[in-house]
Amino acid sequence: MSVTNAFKNFKESDYGIVLLNTLRKLLQERITKFAFVCLVIILVLGTIGPAIAPYQYNVQHREDGQLLRYAEPSLDHPLGTNDRGEDVLSRLLYGARTTVITGLLAGSLMLSIGLFVGVTAGYVGGRTESFLMRFVDFIYGIPFIPFAIVLITFFGAGFYTTIAIIGLVLWRFIARVIRSQVLQIKQRPYIMAAQAAGASTPWIIRKHILPNIANMAALFFAMGVGLAILEQAGLSFIGVTDPFNPTWGIMLRNAHQSGRVVEAWWWSFPPGIMISLTVLSLYLLGRGYEGTSGDDEVVV
Amino acid sequence: MSRLRYFVRRTFITAFLIFLVASALFLFFRLMPGDYTALLTQQGMQPDQIARLEAKWGLNEPMHIQYVSYVTNLLTADAGQSFRHGAPVWDLVKPRIINSFILVAPAITATYIIGGTLGAVIGKYRGGLFEKSSIISVSVFHSIPDFFLGILLIAAFSETAGIFPTSGMLSTRTSILMQGEPFYAKFFLKEFWMHYALPFATITLYFMQYPALIMRNSVVEVSDQEFLHYHRLKGLPQSKLLQKLIRHASLPVITLYPISLATSISGLVLIEVVFNWPGIGRLLVDSVLARDFPVIQFVFLVAAVWVILGNFVVDLLYGVIDPRVSVEGDGE
Repeated sequence: MSVTNAFKNFKESDYGIVLLNTLRKLLQERITKFAFVCLVIILVLGTIGPAIAPYQYNVQHREDGQLLRYAEPSLDHPLGTNDRGEDVLSRLLYGARTTVITGLLAGSLMLSIGLFVGVTAGYVGGRTESFLMRFVDFIYGIPFIPFAIVLITFFGAGFYTTIAIIGLVLWRFIARVIRSQVLQIKQRPYIMAAQAAGASTPWIIRKHILPNIANMAALFFAMGVGLAILEQAGLSFIGVTDPFNPTWGIMLRNAHQSGRVVEAWWWSFPPGIMISLTVLSLYLLGRGYEGTSGDDEVVV
Repeated sequence: MSRLRYFVRRTFITAFLIFLVASALFLFFRLMPGDYTALLTQQGMQPDQIARLEAKWGLNEPMHIQYVSYVTNLLTADAGQSFRHGAPVWDLVKPRIINSFILVAPAITATYIIGGTLGAVIGKYRGGLFEKSSIISVSVFHSIPDFFLGILLIAAFSETAGIFPTSGMLSTRTSILMQGEPFYAKFFLKEFWMHYALPFATITLYFMQYPALIMRNSVVEVSDQEFLHYHRLKGLPQSKLLQKLIRHASLPVITLYPISLATSISGLVLIEVVFNWPGIGRLLVDSVLARDFPVIQFVFLVAAVWVILGNFVVDLLYGVIDPRVSVEGDGE
């Protein structure tokens, strides 16, 4: 099957219809439009960023044999250089890729576990539900940053280790909300009709439950991606992640530690602004969705 | 009677959870690759010191005896020696807990008071530019990572304007002078409050979103409820009406407050690192970078206990604040 065919099929499936409707509603607001454009730009930068970066991110530039430290923005270096003479813009573009990878991987992990636990607990009910929800309560009790720090000291500061830790802990809020949503949907007449007609549980979940929570899941995916990016930046800032991977958090850490946040503003502010913009856009999309679903909820 | 039973049950569960976390930590740190004693030697300890430690912690004994001595030592607030400082871990951690607490507890309280008020005002004057702009601004403050917010405040108010010091809790000179004084002695110094202002402001701005948005939604929801219409028809004056509205609407915010206090320990780590505040978060990060395992182990235990106790308090408060929550039949 060709790509266009697959896309067409998806558009006509239950999920496709729900998602496209949600997206259409979302883009009616000016502020969510802004958020959406920002996200697309960041996604594009994450994909092609390293290709359009003017230099390698770890090349130390020299001028007349001297290391070019703290060079101000110029045509050669649009965002100047840092304490080791590396081009800030290149590092920023490479950082976009690690940010996008972190967000998407950790977000997908959070969504899969959260959906699985939430739907199972909500639909199956009984003992399974109380056991699963107790487990979610337990995970909620984990202070995330200290926990991640301790785990990283054991398993080493790998890039993917960090993503796995983020995904394996922060799915908790998704599970809770999905469960309460499923509990509501379960009461609807068409589900009971399907049950009465002898439909199997997997079939009901696939055909009736999942399409109904698809837009909510998409919203929580956006929120989860934002949360993952924030936490990853935080862990990088503390200095427990792989120091050779150019993330925005590491750039902020180096700038903060050099004590030249104000003098070398071209180095310290862009990564922070990029993180904030990414996370803000994701949150705004989430809030915007809340606005389209209920009349009285927060509309931004 | 049932309330008492609920209380006792909750206390047991809480104690059991803390015990569970402590045991998990023991397992984790002992199953770690590498011999525990070998680690001690690497950190440059004398053989006789090691022998004494081994005797005390039963390091040559089988695992289950080690575990018993670990638990009994913990019960007497003895968490071993720091590799890095050579001092008992408890002596190292105790002042840090106080420092963290005096930063985070007032800051979160202020967040809830200011944020709750703001949320109530937004909910009362809905649908205008004011609502939109305040919701966007609290969202913006929550999207900026807390450490970057701290960096921004330092850049603006310390490095550019020069009003506040950049980091630390006291200047080096003062902290040497203050040695041996009780912890509250520094509250009388202007210098302490100057150091206190920026981290306090960071926490307040960053966490403002929750109470503001929840209070707003709650005010909107309660405004439509029938008992308020009834009171309005009865001719209750505006101020009394407002009082009733706020009382009902603030319930979700009040229940969220202790939860935020408990979970803020996670965000606190970053803020302490930015501002070099000598709390447990800062200690944890320093110990991780120095691979000081006894301290890491104990600080994590403290953080977990902080969260568990916070949730315990929340569970107890639920029943007291909101009579609609029944404690009877819980899990039976």
